[in-house]
Amino acid sequence: MDTNAPHSMGTTIIGVTYNGGVVLGADSRTSTGMYVANRASDKITQLTDNVYLCRSGSAADSQVVSDYVRHFLYQHTIQLGQPATVKVAANLIRLLSYSNKNMLETGLIVGGWDKYEGGKIYSVPLGGTILEQPFAIGGSGSSYLYGFFDQAWKDGMTKDEAEKLVVKAVSLAIARDGASGGVIRTVIINSDGVTRNFYPGDTLPLWHDELEPCGSLLDILSSGSPEPMST
Amino acid sequence: MASKQQANWSPYDNNGGTCVAIAGSNYCVIAADTRLSTGYSILTRDYSKLQQLADKSILASSGFQADIKALQKHLSAKHLIYQHQHNKQMSCPAMAQLLSNTLYYKRFFPYYAFNVLGGLDNEGKGCVFTYDAVGSYERVGYSSQGSGSTLITPVLDNQLKSPSPLLIPQETEAVDLVKDVFASAAERDIYTGDRVEITIVNAAGIRREYAELRKD
Amino acid sequence: MGKVSAAIDQGGFNFDLCRRNEMLMNKAGFKPPTYRKTGTTIVGLVFQGGIILGADTRATEGPIVADKNCEKIHYMAPNIYCCGAGTAADTEAVTDMVSSQLQLHRQATGRESRVVTALTLLKTHLFGYQGHVSAALVLGGVDITGPHLHTIYPHGSTDTLPYATMGSGSLAAMAMFESNYKEGLSRDEGIKLVCQAICAGIFNDLGSGSNVDVCVITKGKTDYLRNYQLPNPRTYVSSKGYSFARGQTEVLSTRIIPLIANLVLAEGDEMEE
Repeated sequence: MDTNAPHSMGTTIIGVTYNGGVVLGADSRTSTGMYVANRASDKITQLTDNVYLCRSGSAADSQVVSDYVRHFLYQHTIQLGQPATVKVAANLIRLLSYSNKNMLETGLIVGGWDKYEGGKIYSVPLGGTILEQPFAIGGSGSSYLYGFFDQAWKDGMTKDEAEKLVVKAVSLAIARDGASGGVIRTVIINSDGVTRNFYPGDTLPLWHDELEPCGSLLDILSSGSPEPMST
Repeated sequence: MASKQQANWSPYDNNGGTCVAIAGSNYCVIAADTRLSTGYSILTRDYSKLQQLADKSILASSGFQADIKALQKHLSAKHLIYQHQHNKQMSCPAMAQLLSNTLYYKRFFPYYAFNVLGGLDNEGKGCVFTYDAVGSYERVGYSSQGSGSTLITPVLDNQLKSPSPLLIPQETEAVDLVKDVFASAAERDIYTGDRVEITIVNAAGIRREYAELRKD
Repeated sequence: MGKVSAAIDQGGFNFDLCRRNEMLMNKAGFKPPTYRKTGTTIVGLVFQGGIILGADTRATEGPIVADKNCEKIHYMAPNIYCCGAGTAADTEAVTDMVSSQLQLHRQATGRESRVVTALTLLKTHLFGYQGHVSAALVLGGVDITGPHLHTIYPHGSTDTLPYATMGSGSLAAMAMFESNYKEGLSRDEGIKLVCQAICAGIFNDLGSGSNVDVCVITKGKTDYLRNYQLPNPRTYVSSKGYSFARGQTEVLSTRIIPLIANLVLAEGDEMEE
């Protein structure tokens, strides 16, 4: 098994706008080849007080891009004397992704709220394209979600409806995509500020053919069951 | 998919392990460690690499376990036929020639097996035969094969060959030397360890001993 | 000659040797030199009030054990240590370099080093080399903001975790952590679990072996417990020992040079303070 393979996030990331703000969502699995290197990673990184970023692809590349953008946004915020807009953040990400497209292997979704345009989602996929979208999905798990979003996404949802949609979508992707898993993390951004939520893996809804969560084999052994492998 | 897929698969694996045999004037010591591994993993710590092929011949093999198993099965079957046809046990030199022929028969798809055959010849003298994978063989006074052979051979050369002619140790000295070279090889070769199985063939019959080795 | 000077006149880098090496690899069947890899088990965990790091002590070159008792827990700062897996030269070089940068930073600021500083310095260096500096690290320390544990991969990505493992024995070690780790372990429980994880690597991974090194970092105090456990003693020593007869190597000629004859007394300036 190759644990020296580059560290990558076979991921499910989502950004959804709703009536008054945005909801970002992500799973928490980071893998090196077949090995889960981190089962509780945080793929939704803070850029400024009101702008967050969902990362997918190479972990190293996406961390470096977000570190640079955070650095530039800090400077920008000080020079401007007021919070940076989501558009500015997204444009900085696009700038780095586009001008270093030969070096980078990362797809990103920017989401945030500002006083000029309200809640906004921008997706910046592989080559440095930038797209302002009402909702965006990314990572390896997203291929399982296009149909679902075409059906389930509605304009003008409430905050709760939007978050429910995000959690449901990530849990659907986790159920089908081997490279996504762990817990679900969400970030809700609106005029009131930011809320972070956390949904443990064993509390997620079970979809078709999924098994009930159970303790490890070690727990079964210590609880005194004589034949843990018997069928 | 129009393009051809390159076969990214090998019919061979290397399961490691070390074999040593020393011939004395009236005995033979054949030994091998009991670790079976692949890559960086240990498959088992208790696998015998020795097989008794006839009354007075014991084969120690390292390399690819599946090929070794196939080779052992083939030789045992051949020996059974030999017994039915001649109503006697095959001698160790005869078994040595049979092993060589068997290995060369698969010259272009060899058994991935490195063998040392030890036992007593028709005069009751200790004999050791050492092989490459395709059947080249030679009768020698002592030999080492497998993953730790590069570490062990010079020690045996120093202890048993200089000054020439061959220094022939007593049986207990030979067993002591075998334990020590295995303990030393286990210190530096990652594929040698866990335990060493030592068989001693002499006029009285076959005796078996074990010594513990490093388990890391 | 003309070619070389022309290349120099152009300025910039010269990549002729890269093409030569590529040719050698493809056509001549040339094998590049092997590196001393620390096929390793290294671990770290957060316990009540600090960090415990652990490592085995085997270094390998292919199937051969190159060093039976090497040190894989590297010093970064008095309050920060770092376990290294991968190419031994790379882990050594990268930790040495960053620890000296940290010392300069401490002298410039007059403050204790922070773990994030070490983390950022390490990851920017590794990212710059795009994975060619093969150092996989477990970084741990206690600073003004509390205890911190991170893993750093050769490509420059980092994770922040309550318990972490790296190296070829990381799966064996992680199995121990995943089944036994709890929040708020005591110091003794922590050391015990770290030793268990390292031993899982030592015994089940052929790339790891020999002894257990442990490093406990708490606020204001660091205990480097070198060779905390020695679970692999020598199994057998020949009862008689060995004697090597003299005169095995033929002496062709002998010449004795008296050392004093080569001593030259020279006038020198007195050393100044």
